[in-house]
Amino acid sequence: MSLAVLDGGAYYHHEAIRGPRFRDRFDRVLYVPELADGDLDGCAAAIVADRILPAALRRKRRILLGFLARGGTLIVLGENRAHEWLPGVSWSFRPTNFWWWLEEGADPGHRIAAPDHEIFRFVEPADVVWHYHGLFAPPPGAEALAAIAPQADPEGKGGAILYDHRGVASGAGRLVVSSLDPFYHHGSHFMPAATRFLDGLLAWTDAAFRR
Amino acid sequence: MTDALLLDCEQAEGGVHLLMTRPDLGSRLDVAPLYELERTELSGYRGLLVGLHVDQRYLAARRPQLEAFLAGGGTVVFCGHVAYPFLAELSAYRPISGYKAADLVVARVAEHPVWAGVDVADLTWRRGVAGFYGRGGNPPPAGATVVHTLGPKAVPVDFVCRPAVGGRLLVHAGADLWGYLETDGTAARMAPQLLDWLAAGAERPAGGML
Repeated sequence: MSLAVLDGGAYYHHEAIRGPRFRDRFDRVLYVPELADGDLDGCAAAIVADRILPAALRRKRRILLGFLARGGTLIVLGENRAHEWLPGVSWSFRPTNFWWWLEEGADPGHRIAAPDHEIFRFVEPADVVWHYHGLFAPPPGAEALAAIAPQADPEGKGGAILYDHRGVASGAGRLVVSSLDPFYHHGSHFMPAATRFLDGLLAWTDAAFRR
Repeated sequence: MTDALLLDCEQAEGGVHLLMTRPDLGSRLDVAPLYELERTELSGYRGLLVGLHVDQRYLAARRPQLEAFLAGGGTVVFCGHVAYPFLAELSAYRPISGYKAADLVVARVAEHPVWAGVDVADLTWRRGVAGFYGRGGNPPPAGATVVHTLGPKAVPVDFVCRPAVGGRLLVHAGADLWGYLETDGTAARMAPQLLDWLAAGAERPAGGML
């Protein structure tokens, strides 16, 4: 089994994917504007790095949905406007609070919704606690893994920042969706929690998709 | 001539939306989706604004178009870390490894109209946190004018130069300069002064400020 990563060509994709820390964690690197039929053949899963230009992803929707239809797993990170090109994704914008950590004792509202999920054998719960870019309403059949409590949501609703949807759209595919953007922050050399989250996420993908 | 064309990367937040919706500034620039660049005639613009989220592999493939724009007297402004040097004067970003706050303090080493009246303390600090402005540098080419450096090692975080093909190039090794429009303090001056600098154009008296 092997793992692909989709590369959007931004500097932070270059640093996170090709930089020394994580370069051995991907079996195949695919630059999205050149993604072609067959490129994902033989991959069990593909990570869609955060902040790929959504126009490029929408243009490759047919190939990405084909991968899901054949039973592939897509791990889709933040700011990719996944609701515009993937099934069942319901996302709503929230203004990003980059500053929550400056207030001593502040509770940004993060809750681990499924502590027994396999991903938390690799991802430390504390490493999902940083700013997020909008909230998801997981559709029926999906499992929220990490969420923001309603009382911490400016709109009072709360929602998921990480969820797992097996059998998406009544098919064989699996979608793991997050509104965190660790490739951007790790690749910008600017947020240790994002680097630790990526450490955990890639330890999980090593175990789940690369053996 | 229009002062600028900004290449958009569909980000939900950040400076693009602030810049394009302010009547005084948004009326001076067009915004085009990044991948429309290859179908865009640049000769009607004085400046091209390229932000940190851009697909640099795509820009590298568009290098002949960018060079033709520069050769015609245009100005390219790039904010971000260089990963794929898409112009001859660009070199790969070098981060300051293991930085402390003191390594991120901004110092002005040359005056430049884009930063006129901007207090370097407002660039170094936001809510008491250092590092938003820059955490490393894009190495400038020979002959460039370095405007700001970071920390005791004087890492160049901003430079301007005249590319060999012509025109002007301004490079900031950090987030978009137009993303400071709604911050408190003098950093908000950068975006309007950047448009003024583009409007002034590349043709200046010999020895004049870039």
